[in-house]
Amino acid sequence: MNHISAKPAPVETEALTLMLGDRVLLDRASLRVERGEVLAFTGGAGSGKTALLAALAGQPPAGVDVAGGIRVDGHLLIAQGGRLAPRRPLALQVAEVVGHHLGLDLRLALRRTADGLDRMGVPAAARRFDLPPEQLPDSLRWACLFAMAVAVGPAVLLADAPAAGLDPTVRLRLLHRLADWARADGVALILAGRPEDGVAGPADHVLSLRRGRLLAPKPPRTAPLTPLEPPGASRLHARSVGMSYPLSPGPKGEARTLAVLHGIDLDLRTGETLALLGETGSAKATLARSLLCLPPPTAGAVVWMGRDLMAASAPPATGEDADNSGPDHVGLRRARRDLQPLFPDPAASFDPAMTIGAQFDLALESLRPDIAADRRDHRIDEALEEAGLRPEAALRWPAALTVAEAAHAGLARAILPEPRVLIADEPAASLSAEERETFLDTLMAVRDRRRLSLVLATDRYDEGLRDAHRGIVMLAGRVVESADAETLRTAPLHPYSRAMLAASRGERPALEGDAPSAFGQPTGCPLRRRCPLAREFCAQAVPALEEVAPGHHVACHYWDTPAEG
Amino acid sequence: MAEFDQPPLSHPVPPEPPRAGLARQLSGAAVLAALALACAAAPLMADGSAVHRLDADPVAAALLDGRGSLSFALLAAVLGGALGIGWALLAGLLGNLVGNRVERRVIGAAHRMAGWPLALLVPLAGGLMGKVWLLALVTAMTAAPAVAALAHAELSALLRAEFLTAARAAGLAEGEVLRRHLIPNLTRPLLAAGTLALPRVLAAESFASLLGLGLPPALGSWGASVGLAGRLGDPVAFAPPALLLALALWAACAIADGMAAGNRTP
Ligand code: SF4
Repeated sequence: MNHISAKPAPVETEALTLMLGDRVLLDRASLRVERGEVLAFTGGAGSGKTALLAALAGQPPAGVDVAGGIRVDGHLLIAQGGRLAPRRPLALQVAEVVGHHLGLDLRLALRRTADGLDRMGVPAAARRFDLPPEQLPDSLRWACLFAMAVAVGPAVLLADAPAAGLDPTVRLRLLHRLADWARADGVALILAGRPEDGVAGPADHVLSLRRGRLLAPKPPRTAPLTPLEPPGASRLHARSVGMSYPLSPGPKGEARTLAVLHGIDLDLRTGETLALLGETGSAKATLARSLLCLPPPTAGAVVWMGRDLMAASAPPATGEDADNSGPDHVGLRRARRDLQPLFPDPAASFDPAMTIGAQFDLALESLRPDIAADRRDHRIDEALEEAGLRPEAALRWPAALTVAEAAHAGLARAILPEPRVLIADEPAASLSAEERETFLDTLMAVRDRRRLSLVLATDRYDEGLRDAHRGIVMLAGRVVESADAETLRTAPLHPYSRAMLAASRGERPALEGDAPSAFGQPTGCPLRRRCPLAREFCAQAVPALEEVAPGHHVACHYWDTPAEG
Repeated sequence: MAEFDQPPLSHPVPPEPPRAGLARQLSGAAVLAALALACAAAPLMADGSAVHRLDADPVAAALLDGRGSLSFALLAAVLGGALGIGWALLAGLLGNLVGNRVERRVIGAAHRMAGWPLALLVPLAGGLMGKVWLLALVTAMTAAPAVAALAHAELSALLRAEFLTAARAAGLAEGEVLRRHLIPNLTRPLLAAGTLALPRVLAAESFASLLGLGLPPALGSWGASVGLAGRLGDPVAFAPPALLLALALWAACAIADGMAAGNRTP
């Protein structure tokens, strides 16, 4: 039963119900999307977004029953991940779709795609679409898919998890461009994605799919759970920490290296939370691992409570020495106990051949020899409970844990030896939506209860700063801005920090183009090819970190100059 | 009416995926075991006088041949698997002690050699050297590069595993990491790489015997019988050894594939 009004909207549903077996994915939803309107669905993994989008496209996935009325005008669906053949030239695949929809031959279809790429802001120099998708950066792949949609010009565009996996600043730029096109050309645009994917940013309306209903989204927590306590004295120092990797020797046999981290200085105080903010290639993870000396950095010094960790973790000069009871080794073990890591892929950080409990036991035995063997089980149970798991989790094998459980188990392992500092490298990266919030809340509760210092590396600007005292914004292995969290959240000065802030709020970041690869860094300021303030001088000198206000450092030649025109 | 007040299944628990390749691996192993049993029991089937194979009925003769083929294949596969695994471990060790370049060279050689038609060496060796154990050694060496390449890939993937970093963060010394984490996780993938040798040596030996340059006639071999029956143009004598050989090859491949697939981390 179609309710067609005088001027039908391109998308209308009437009591649309989706069932997967006897589970209700969507319960009697009535939707209406007008021309030029942008609607976003958000929902955690498995909430039914994909099924809803596929049902709107008239291709409900197998096993999903559809009831109720759907009317969708000529539509185009961009499926999750783009669904491209990995080995065929991208241009060919896209042009085929365009040609098929418009009845054009390949040449005309390619030309229309090129027009679409203009609207997506892809410079002609970056177009290497004769390559297969697996050899292209993700951002170009997505830009090309969006350009395909623009070229086809459907009445309705459905995009499932568009631009997922891209860095926030790049993702939001593309999504905003897509939304601009939809508004200008009167296309009804429906985006679906996980809440942290940023699809809500450019949308006019956002609906969150929860328990089979489309509801207004819950605003994320913006303030710390409990007020942050002022930090104490400084304990962990990193001085001019640098990391470079050896490359294969050059044509004349000279040794070559690739420097990814350039002389970082950092201090961490007791009870302080420091957010390391940066996107792919910023080397925030390398910095986090350097602080742990896993592996030790290739330059500089890391000092924990007056002890130089790099000297301690250097392999003993006399080759194999099995007794490992030298003074350095004892010192290192002591530091290992105090500094504990959280890994970005918690499931992979557990040995698949041992139960969780056995691994915890081993860690305790190594780090806390002072705890008697029969007390260890009790300790393990306590740590698991504090991390939000049941003590029975100790009996399970890593493969039997869900992703969220693995993340919590990772936290439990980290607090097991009663450390003083947690160094977390994107600890929630594998989690979505509510699981992510639960995990971060648990982490903060643990931190507050134990008065831990925390280094939190993340590419989610707002979320990282919300629970932090201080933040460091990193770009291409350098610190570009450091300040207290409040300043960074309200008035960042560096163009890159501003772009990350805008992206995290769903606004349009003022940066063009994609991040350069580690091998193709521009001379001078690493941001200069994307920066709205860039001038000629930016190519000549790497800007140094200068203090612009007490405790606020910025590395930019023109941070105080407003953007031109 | 369905209930929808259940918690949202974020990350829906997928039905436990059956381990990839397990069915194939099991059926391969079952077939091979049955073949081996049948071959071992073959002398009982042929009445005592008919140990001269040419007089026996063709099926019993083929089963008798299987004893030679299968036991030789087993011997050569164990040798080849061990050689290949040793090669990979040596490369890893050299990489640790001397430098990555040496490791890359050593394993690069294995990759290149795995692409060569090494199986041609087996009939050559069979023609030149009469000794069975020498032939087994040569056959094993033809299978070793492929084993070494796979074993090294598994080894280096494991050495990059995050849980080793986690173990170091727990203050374990390198020796402990090796003993507690590396070795228990290495056995399975290395065994899987080792089984790769089985189909290769079986095929190489059959090929050589087919040309008449393989196992000495006293031992008996499917390849030799197929070759002989082919030359005599005797379809009744041809079919049983050919079928059994095909079955054994399929089973060996199934085991090797299944091991490798089940071992691959998703
Ligand atoms: S130094 Fe130049 S290119 Fe770099 S951020 Fe500042 S204005 Fe932009």
